[in-house]
Amino acid sequence: MDSQTTTTDLAAKDAWYPASKRDWFILKQLVTKDFKLKYRRSALGVVWSVLNPLLMMLVMAAVFGTFMRYNDPSIGNYAVYLILGNTAFQLMNDATSQGMGSIIGASSLLKKVKINRVVFPVEKALFAGVNYLFSLVAIALVMLVEQVPLGLTALLLPFGLLMLLVFSVGLSMLLSALSVFFRDVMHLWGVVLIAWTYATPLFYPYSILPAWMQTFEKFNPMYLYVTYIRDVVLYQQVPSVAMHAACAACALVALGIGYLVFRKNEHKFILYI
Amino acid sequence: MTDSKAAMPSWLPVATLTQSEISFGEHTFLDVEIAGDAPRHVLYSYYWSIEGGGLGDKTGTPKDQTRFGFIPPCPGTFIITVEAHGSDGVVRNTSAWVKVNAVDEAPLARPESIADDADEVISVDDVSMIFNIASEQFNSLKEYFIALARHELKFKEFRALNHVSFSVKRGEAFGLVGTNGSGKSTMLKIIAGVLEASEGTCRVTGTIAPLIELGAGFDMELTAKENIYLNGSLLGYRKEFIDEHFDDIVEFAELQSFMDMPLKNYSSGMVARIAFAIATITEPDILIVDETLSVGDYLFQQKCERRIQELVQSGNVTVLLVSHSIELVERICNRVCWIEKGQMRMVGPTDEICEEYKSLGK
Repeated sequence: MDSQTTTTDLAAKDAWYPASKRDWFILKQLVTKDFKLKYRRSALGVVWSVLNPLLMMLVMAAVFGTFMRYNDPSIGNYAVYLILGNTAFQLMNDATSQGMGSIIGASSLLKKVKINRVVFPVEKALFAGVNYLFSLVAIALVMLVEQVPLGLTALLLPFGLLMLLVFSVGLSMLLSALSVFFRDVMHLWGVVLIAWTYATPLFYPYSILPAWMQTFEKFNPMYLYVTYIRDVVLYQQVPSVAMHAACAACALVALGIGYLVFRKNEHKFILYI
Repeated sequence: MTDSKAAMPSWLPVATLTQSEISFGEHTFLDVEIAGDAPRHVLYSYYWSIEGGGLGDKTGTPKDQTRFGFIPPCPGTFIITVEAHGSDGVVRNTSAWVKVNAVDEAPLARPESIADDADEVISVDDVSMIFNIASEQFNSLKEYFIALARHELKFKEFRALNHVSFSVKRGEAFGLVGTNGSGKSTMLKIIAGVLEASEGTCRVTGTIAPLIELGAGFDMELTAKENIYLNGSLLGYRKEFIDEHFDDIVEFAELQSFMDMPLKNYSSGMVARIAFAIATITEPDILIVDETLSVGDYLFQQKCERRIQELVQSGNVTVLLVSHSIELVERICNRVCWIEKGQMRMVGPTDEICEEYKSLGK
């Protein structure tokens, strides 16, 4: 009965979303697709999203905890220090390396259907964000085992994550556009990511860096985000206003540049894909 | 004991049709029930054939499905047989006859001449498309900068389309013909809005539904069901709309029993069916039909043609057909544009243009 009435209510024109809402549904569908594909035919399925950061943390804790023995008391709990840094960096890593090829990957679709092209790099970044949410479970587990208390400051975590995500979206858009014209970007970015991983204090303390590197870290957005997240989750400190502003500024600048480059060049994509 | 069992089976499948006589173009459902002491599980498979043999089809492995849709491919009398596979190891049949009456259809279902005051949905005005075919294609930064440094960034101009103008009115079925590399696909891309014309303007009013091909809006690892939602979203459909019309889509594509199978196990024809079913489940303003359709089998192509004609006859849908098959164009379209080497050769009523076009090879 119900379905009968709705059928008649749905005029033909109600079949389509207005242009503004269309992208959300596409984004949702694409994230769902990626999610299903990631875990299809794996026995543990989504548990891997939790297990993966945990295992990575264990390996790194074993390696660096034994060989390097950082005696910096400012680190706090090393396991939590590690996993917070790694997962945050992984979010940017996933978003950019997946987002980079998103336009090329969607080429056959873009040749046929008029779609807001920007959804593809954005979707990859969002998908990385969804994966990060699962690693929060891993973080919680580690904090539980290590008996690290969680303070009220953790309520600020969403802000840090959001800024990190916006930053990643911006980079993803920029890279996806560049890689259309120069496929070299795809090879180069892998190297950049490795360098960036080592240049960011993920598994070592900031204090062991030489002075010039410490200056350099001021311009490393990833150091900013990692520090922000550690401050609010591990050290129970409220970051300064300047820190908040810097996080937001990096995110907005990346987003702005990414968006501009993408929009300026997107009409030429079809000639190169 | 065994004798009496053979004479009086403990259970029997019974088939009932929602309609045993239908007109061509309609469909009917067959419901199957078990009379008597049903075994614990019964799985069903069905097959149909036309009286006298010749045409027929069947579902694959028996499934836990008691309703089967039947869409006749042509008028005639059909027998539908359901096989019931009981968990006791017994297989029993039941059959039902369906009479499909021919409908008096105009043999040529081209749209009637369109009223002069119908609104223009596509207007292509003096469109040219110029590609700078870089004498070399730069795929890397190094190559690019070397060429830049040597001032060797020369481009050859290639006109894929040269001052093409035509317009299509609401309710028309418009064909684009031309030999390979003539610029048909370029024209289509410009109309679909994925490519910007270098010169001139192309105005399109309303929603466009293209047939999305294999590998574009489909993912081979996802099931057909998941793909329908994905594809629907890419066409811009509302989720509620897809929910509501999901069964129609599946039924039209005739893939009821394959919905939870990954698409990679499908043939390309089956994917084309889904693509067509999704694109035509509602009335788009403009339906773009290209070679994607040609991978479907004969029966399905007929069905698609019928659906296209239905859409055209509704008067709201404009069909844009691009095909190498001049017969298809002749059957469906009322007007045709012939593009050759980027130049518009002719535009006008189908018969005139097709006559000229066909004499090209002679």
